[in-house]
Amino acid sequence: MFRKKRKVQGDETILSLARIVGDDYILYRKEDLIAYECDGLTLYKGMPKAVVFPKTTEEVSQIVNYLSNCNIPFIARGAGTGLSGGAIPFGGEVIISLVRMKKLLRIDYENRQAVIQPGFVNLKLTNSIAHKGYYYAPDPSSQYACTIGGNVAENAGGAHCLKYGVTTNHVLGLEVVLPNGDIVEIGEEGIADRPGYDLLGLLTGSEGTMGIVTKITVRILKNPEGKKTVLAYFDRIEDASYAVSDIISVGIVPAALEMMDKTAIEGVEAANFPVGHPKDLAALLLIEVDGITVGIEDEINEIVEVCRRRNVREVKVAKDEAERAKWWANRKTGFGAMGAISPDYLVQDGVIPRTKLPEVLAKINDISKKSGLRIANIFHAGDGNLHPLILFDAKKEGETERALAAGSECLRACAESGGSITGEHGVGIEKKEEMRFIFTDDEIEAQTNIRSVFNPHNLLNPGKIFPSPSRCAEIKQEIITNREPVIN
Amino acid sequence: MVTELEKIVDEKRIVKSGDEDPFGNLGKCTVYPQTEEEISAILTYASKNGRKVFVEGSGTKKGFGGLLEKADILLSLSHCKGVVEYSAGDLTITVRPGTTIKEIGEYLAPFGQCLSVDPAWPEFATIGGVIAANSSGPKRLKYGSARDFVIGLRVVYPDGKVIRTGGKVVKNVAGYDMNKLFVGSMGTLGVISEVTVKLRPLPKYESLVLLSFSEKNLHEIRSFVIQLLDSMMEPVSLELVNPTLSNQLTGLEGYTLFIGLEGIEKSVLYQEMWIKEHQPKETELIILQQHEAKKIWSTFAKLAPNPLRIKEIDESNLEIGIKIGSKNIDVIELVEACHLMSLNKHVDVRVHGGIGHGITKAYVKGNTEAVLSYVRDIRSAGCNKGGYAIVEHAPYILRKHVNVWGDPPSYFSLLEGIKKAIDPNNVLNTQRFVGGL
Ligand SMILES: Cc1cc2nc3c(=O)[nH]c(=O)nc-3n(C[C@@H](O)[C@H](O)[C@H](O)COP(=O)(O)OP(=O)(O)OC[C@H]3O[C@@H](n4cnc5c(N)ncnc54)[C@H](O)[C@@H]3O)c2cc1C
Ligand SMILES: Cc1cc2nc3c(=O)[nH]c(=O)nc-3n(C[C@H](O)[C@H](O)[C@H](O)COP(=O)(O)OP(=O)(O)OC[C@H]3O[C@@H](n4cnc5c(N)ncnc54)[C@H](O)[C@@H]3O)c2cc1C
Repeated sequence: MFRKKRKVQGDETILSLARIVGDDYILYRKEDLIAYECDGLTLYKGMPKAVVFPKTTEEVSQIVNYLSNCNIPFIARGAGTGLSGGAIPFGGEVIISLVRMKKLLRIDYENRQAVIQPGFVNLKLTNSIAHKGYYYAPDPSSQYACTIGGNVAENAGGAHCLKYGVTTNHVLGLEVVLPNGDIVEIGEEGIADRPGYDLLGLLTGSEGTMGIVTKITVRILKNPEGKKTVLAYFDRIEDASYAVSDIISVGIVPAALEMMDKTAIEGVEAANFPVGHPKDLAALLLIEVDGITVGIEDEINEIVEVCRRRNVREVKVAKDEAERAKWWANRKTGFGAMGAISPDYLVQDGVIPRTKLPEVLAKINDISKKSGLRIANIFHAGDGNLHPLILFDAKKEGETERALAAGSECLRACAESGGSITGEHGVGIEKKEEMRFIFTDDEIEAQTNIRSVFNPHNLLNPGKIFPSPSRCAEIKQEIITNREPVIN
Repeated sequence: MVTELEKIVDEKRIVKSGDEDPFGNLGKCTVYPQTEEEISAILTYASKNGRKVFVEGSGTKKGFGGLLEKADILLSLSHCKGVVEYSAGDLTITVRPGTTIKEIGEYLAPFGQCLSVDPAWPEFATIGGVIAANSSGPKRLKYGSARDFVIGLRVVYPDGKVIRTGGKVVKNVAGYDMNKLFVGSMGTLGVISEVTVKLRPLPKYESLVLLSFSEKNLHEIRSFVIQLLDSMMEPVSLELVNPTLSNQLTGLEGYTLFIGLEGIEKSVLYQEMWIKEHQPKETELIILQQHEAKKIWSTFAKLAPNPLRIKEIDESNLEIGIKIGSKNIDVIELVEACHLMSLNKHVDVRVHGGIGHGITKAYVKGNTEAVLSYVRDIRSAGCNKGGYAIVEHAPYILRKHVNVWGDPPSYFSLLEGIKKAIDPNNVLNTQRFVGGL
């Protein structure tokens, strides 16, 4: 697909895979594989054996069947925007890229469903149905690039998930190729509550370790009648934090409730989509309310009132769609914007009960001081989903390690506040050890036991999610121990 | 056995009943643990000694599945109740499994918050049971179901081990979403000993719009509903009710749509206006506001036959409950089919179906023969539409003659694998679930 016809040369595995997908749809030369050494998490790298690009479910099934018979590990890959290293090989895996399976198969407005292939890009779904007044709710900031297959695997969230829920709340049906090559269909026709354990819920968020998703039925929603967006500037981060739980406590569930701190604001203002936020702010909140237009006005007034009680410096409502779009572009490109103020940055993804915001943000501030690294916070405040961005310079001796350690400390602070180590980016390679912050050995074993039901030989995406084994039974399961991630 | 159990829980909390019950799902004795430690000790004892355990909340679903009449131990969670932790600003609550839906509602109301579920018999149904049976009501359209609001569980595994799933925060993707395993698993995998759920703000205002269509005018329902779903309207329910049930609940003849509206008063009134403006010809429209609306919903919640109130079965006139799953819009045809079929089968049927979430419920009364034949026909009507039908409530004797869960799915081996991984010795709720799991 990327080069003019050239006959595939390679070992038996390469030739067999090429026979399934065709010579044009396999990469196996070292120089072609470099792009697949990592995903959105660039701190770890591993060289795959090959990358194949199947076009159909049957091809995926044949590939998987072949690899499992040969005992060769394999990984599904979407757009590779994952931030926890879920699609990164340790070395020698075959990557099954779903990017050629990118069709929109069916839209059924009456039943509010869309059926798509896994390589379909998230934002394209909303774009395909917008003319009829419909949209797909989960909106990760990477939505212009990430695939819905990858979203299902990570149970992706987004800014508008506070009111509408994350990916799992919108997935109605899945076709999956199991690690032995069997094709199963779960939640046929998107019909709810089919008798049996909720495999749909279990597979969503399993980070590509239980099966390869080859078809997805999702719920689509009708656009709300009205939408209003508010920007609130605060001089004290505590005030902004308290305002967040106050809004929820007065009975408003905004569509989105986002926060940025001083360092984050400095970053987004220095990058491509500046809004002109004052430089001396401690924090800002970006709040969106949607629904029946006549009701929104009241809710906005109430939100403004709450902000005033929390000493807001200035609070304003977007005057038109253009201004609203500008505010959101500034927010949604926030991670990348850190590139404008730091050579490298590490994205973290902890969750806390939203009432603990002030104390956890204070702890993160301490971690920043101790590590000597700046940390920007830009996050989904409404659901307590923090994204500390640890700014560092990989070229400076020891800074990468310090950044990783600081990231881990942030997750510990989240766990200690009664929260979780990841809200939407997944565990992947990155947070395996941090799983121990929140789960006991028994609880981890309970999960790997379920993995074994689907993936008994652990050939599909091995070595992800769960910390290195602490007990013998697990060690037997874990394949090839010398595949430890390299840090470079 | 009882002597062994008395070492675990106070003897007052063990009832050595040999009680008969027309719905089965009994135990040689019933134990009422109050704490997780007690639940764990009971299961440890049972699994070590090869005892079979049935689990119940308060038993409103006694008639739901189950091919065995009696286990060694009936483990009732009804004494394991109370709020563990609540934080209004977090919009979450942690409770013990035996707390009833009504108790939780009353606890939350002063804080202006509520549970995101409207199941049948809230004064009896326990939160643990609602989750294990994945019960939902008409407002599921807006509220979602247990799989959407459960964020964390503590579960006692069949061997007595305590496993936490999920957490206490509303967004969480650490590890597998193990909560989902236990929602709707009918107590066949573990005993839920603590529950953390997402809440919602108590609506500031509510109304219920009843829109009744004459029986000749059914195609009108479809075009009206499609128009409504394609508008800016945000109903919390869009429940279609057959003439029999409509008459019983509201006195209105014909098929009636129950359109629930909740939110800020202004927006509720605005949506009422929309319905008035789009009212199809030859329909009757009634708007019930606030406590009038609540009153209807609370009667609605008492439609399902409640095993706690039925002590004897009359085979010439018994009642069963059926749940049918279909695509949203197909609900209209299924509700009609359920109704028409009742006319020539000599059964009395009350039906309601949620257009917008695809779950239809039918309560069928008649003699054994007629009821059984009705289930067969409804099941094939549901399956013809790509859906399914399960029998949610039936006396024990009848459950042997209907395949309560229908045929197991093509991926049944995965379900078996899960059961084996968690409960290899079949300690819990043996044969309660699909395919005899
Ligand atoms: C015919 C009928 C129809 C109904 N229809 C509806 C309806 O349309 N919508 C609706 O929302 N509700 C419906 N319900 C009622 C429903 O709300 C139940 O009341 C509720 O789900 C179960 O509560 P319970 O405590 O009585 O559960 P039980 O009947 O005691 O138990 C239900 C199931 O859950 C298991 N279980 C209970 N507690 C636990 C626990 N802590 N851990 C593990 N497993 C447990 C039991 O073993 C059993 O399998 C209906 C009930 C009946 C009888
Ligand atoms: C700038 C930026 C912003 C982001 N913002 C957000 C955000 O707001 N919210 C959010 O949730 N995430 C966010 N992400 C993370 C990332 O975009 C999501 O995790 C996304 O879901 C990954 O999709 P992908 O197609 O890139 O998957 P990949 O990165 O290719 O894969 C991710 C994981 O999914 C598995 N996988 C992929 N496809 C399949 C399949 N078909 N079947 C089975 N397993 C599969 C892979 O094996 C891997 O484990 C962001 C990332 C970036 C770079």
